[in-house]
Amino acid sequence: MRNSFLTILIVALIIASLGILSIYSSNYEKEGDTWRTIYQRQILWVILGLVFFVLISNLNYRRFWDWTYFLYGAAVFFLLLVYILGAVRLGAQRWLRIGWFNFQPSEFAKIALVIFLAKYFSRKSIDDINLLSGKFGIFRGIVLPLIFIGIPVVLIVEQPDLGSALMILILFMAFLYITQVKLRYIVVLLAISLLPLPFMWHFLRDYQKERLLVFLNPNIDPLGAGYTIIQSKIAIGSGGLFGKGWLAGTQSQLHFLPESHTDFIFATFAEEWGFLGSLGLLFLYFLIIRQGFYIAQRTHDAFGSLLAFGISLMLCIQIFINISMNLGLAPVVGLPLPLMSYGGSSVFITFVALGILVNIDRTRAVF
Amino acid sequence: MIRTKVLIIIVIFMFLFLVFGLLNLIGLQGNKFKDLSNNNCIRLTPQLGCRGKILDRNGEVIVDSRISYDLAVMPSGSVQLENTFAAISKLINKDVKDLRKSFNYGYFSPSVPVTVARNINLSKVIAIEQIRSDYQGIVIQPTPVRNYPYSSLGSHFLGYVNEIDRWRLTKLKDYGYKTKDIVGFGGVEEKYDYYLRQEQGGLSVEVDHRGRFVRLLGFKPPRNGKDIQLTINLKIQKIAESSLGERKGCVVIINPNTGEILAMASSPDFDPSLFVNRSGSGISNLFSNSSAPLMNRAISATYPAGSIFKVVVSTAALETKKINQNTSFLCQGSAIIGRSQFKCWNTHGMQNLIGGLTHSCNVFFYKTGLLTGALNIHDYAIKLGFGHNTSFELPYEVPGFIPSPIWRKINKFQNWFDGDTANLSIGQGDVAVTPIQVVRMMSVFANKGYLVTPYIVKNIDGRDISKYQTRIEKLNLKISNIELIRQGLRRVVSEPTGTGNVLSSLPVSIAGKTGTAQAPPGQPHAWFVGFFPYEKPKFAICVLLDHGGPGYYSCLVGKQIIDQMSKEGLI
Repeated sequence: MRNSFLTILIVALIIASLGILSIYSSNYEKEGDTWRTIYQRQILWVILGLVFFVLISNLNYRRFWDWTYFLYGAAVFFLLLVYILGAVRLGAQRWLRIGWFNFQPSEFAKIALVIFLAKYFSRKSIDDINLLSGKFGIFRGIVLPLIFIGIPVVLIVEQPDLGSALMILILFMAFLYITQVKLRYIVVLLAISLLPLPFMWHFLRDYQKERLLVFLNPNIDPLGAGYTIIQSKIAIGSGGLFGKGWLAGTQSQLHFLPESHTDFIFATFAEEWGFLGSLGLLFLYFLIIRQGFYIAQRTHDAFGSLLAFGISLMLCIQIFINISMNLGLAPVVGLPLPLMSYGGSSVFITFVALGILVNIDRTRAVF
Repeated sequence: MIRTKVLIIIVIFMFLFLVFGLLNLIGLQGNKFKDLSNNNCIRLTPQLGCRGKILDRNGEVIVDSRISYDLAVMPSGSVQLENTFAAISKLINKDVKDLRKSFNYGYFSPSVPVTVARNINLSKVIAIEQIRSDYQGIVIQPTPVRNYPYSSLGSHFLGYVNEIDRWRLTKLKDYGYKTKDIVGFGGVEEKYDYYLRQEQGGLSVEVDHRGRFVRLLGFKPPRNGKDIQLTINLKIQKIAESSLGERKGCVVIINPNTGEILAMASSPDFDPSLFVNRSGSGISNLFSNSSAPLMNRAISATYPAGSIFKVVVSTAALETKKINQNTSFLCQGSAIIGRSQFKCWNTHGMQNLIGGLTHSCNVFFYKTGLLTGALNIHDYAIKLGFGHNTSFELPYEVPGFIPSPIWRKINKFQNWFDGDTANLSIGQGDVAVTPIQVVRMMSVFANKGYLVTPYIVKNIDGRDISKYQTRIEKLNLKISNIELIRQGLRRVVSEPTGTGNVLSSLPVSIAGKTGTAQAPPGQPHAWFVGFFPYEKPKFAICVLLDHGGPGYYSCLVGKQIIDQMSKEGLI
């Protein structure tokens, strides 16, 4: 079906263009050519992403079924590489330097884990057309996949990238829910993961503790950890109905808002485009996710359907956490806004994921 | 697929959650965040201009402005603030507690510096500049303030300046006045505040997150206030004030042909610089002092007119043809009117009008007054400018009062008796006049029949406004009557038996009338009102001593003033 291809392509392109405009705007007043030309790099990444989007949308997604373990292995390998390099260089790192660009393995791990989970839960026995997952016991339903998920998640937490790890865990829960794993197992898992949270406090790093406290009350440290969230709220709140206009947002232009082109790009956007613009952006995201859900429901192939759900949910959770964080409704965890935030890996992986989504819709007629 | 549907609903709710989050920030709290956003990036730096100068008629400065260095502190963290206070208090010898108090009192908003000490001398300013880099938030603000080179000279017609009060603020808000504006109180400062006041200019600057300058959003240069030139002659004013000395009372000297005020002294006076220095005790003394130093006695206080009212009675009698120049009455020291005896201050024998004025004979005027009638006297008093404001431009002028039978009947339900007419004829009873009304009345006889309007501002910012001020009214009095009264007034001084004979020794020819207005309890008020030179009058003068004794004392003050004026060649 050409329909979903065009819809997703156009919507994704609009969002990416808005992202580039916002990145341009947020660095427009900064000194130094590297800052001012940052939007050009984003344009390059979007073009690269588009190329891969078209390529992958023509690549049968069943290939990923075959490559699952290879992709999973690669993800763990890259994460380990980051961990080791970080240890060697005595500094935490989230990316690998490959040639002229930085590659962020956690982004790659996200899509790899989605594919892995989709395959794991869509296996069937030979003599039954129903999925195996409905009959999974607690070991095969929860513990085993948790171990598979746990290895990369621990490595991601180590980076430290709490946001991505959190996102993967939520995604895992959603997978369990949608693949007919018994509800009581999920409740048990939730209980197990929530109960030790108070003890987890001691394992958090200082800055992470600060962020959590500041989330509860940003005014306890207005110039330190609470600064970003206060400035972000000011940026969004001062936008008004129509916004201050492109290149006219004072919060982002005058550097009051940190991270204005990455994690807090939504605040930059909302300041300049106002309530209506933000509403439009949310609607565009909603369109993509709705497309993803339609595709998942239309697809009879269990793997394809789960994969489509997984990709849509991955985007949805990232969008939700990121925008909530911009609005001051969630603690500040580093998580980019898909397609908007500056960052090659994120943009590239998102386009690849969308490509897979389109291909699922295109290939399902085969079965 | 129930679970799929639940999931879709959850996703929809997630998006709705985000929309409500947006609505909350933009819709409900939007205005707050808009202000915060502007506070973030817009800094306003006010720049003050000077208040306009006040000059005398020859362009000499009576009031101008000087630069005062004020010490202000930028609100910041409390620990730093305490350190700053400690450092400042050592340098300017002021208690830390006082500094903190004035800081808390003046605190306005986190981005506005708070003035904690005013008027610091230059050497201390330099010392503070040196420690500025070590302590946060010290700001030295050069502020133009009022400068009074002659301290209390002319304080009443000048007025003083102070921070705007609530009442004026509500009245003047629409004209661009703001809280903490410095405005005039009383006198020229209040009346012409709109012209005198400086227009605050300033820079509106956009800054980045480190407070560094990004760009200039707007600049409005401050504008100095307009200079005001008065009709006051500084030399005459000085003479008037020094002659009045410590005595309670006032002196008004005007040009009888135009109404220009040449000098206006009122005593006791005050030092307007008290308000500039914010000396709390000095200011509260001014307000609690029972002799009311802030009151301008020339326009804001009323006194019984006493014998100077006889000029009005003469005019009324002559104009209504009740008497003529030959009409005479016998003064035997007293007269019986109704059932009571009305006294004269001496026994004068046969008196005609000129004699009556010369000797200020009460009996002559009792009888003249009874002939003329109270209503006629009242009407002519009103015609000569009593009983209502003179349209003088300074604020807080009072109208005074002239009683009449009709007023008595309507307002007090009492009858008017001949005794009341007798009392009115010698300016006693309910008669209340202000010194400026008296000197204006005298001008009618100096300029032969024209009622002038007194005014004090000659030009504003170089533009002559006297043509808007001067409103000279022709009274249509018979010239022969005026001449007759003029002769009488001249005789007051020139006749050896005249009440104002003490003035005859002066080199100028003076005409005038004395008055001893009974005001029990206490001494009578002493009046002298006159004009000089007699032939071509250039000055009309009124001296009043508040409970100062008989009119003779006022004549002495008048003599001292005119003597000094002629010595300095001002006549």
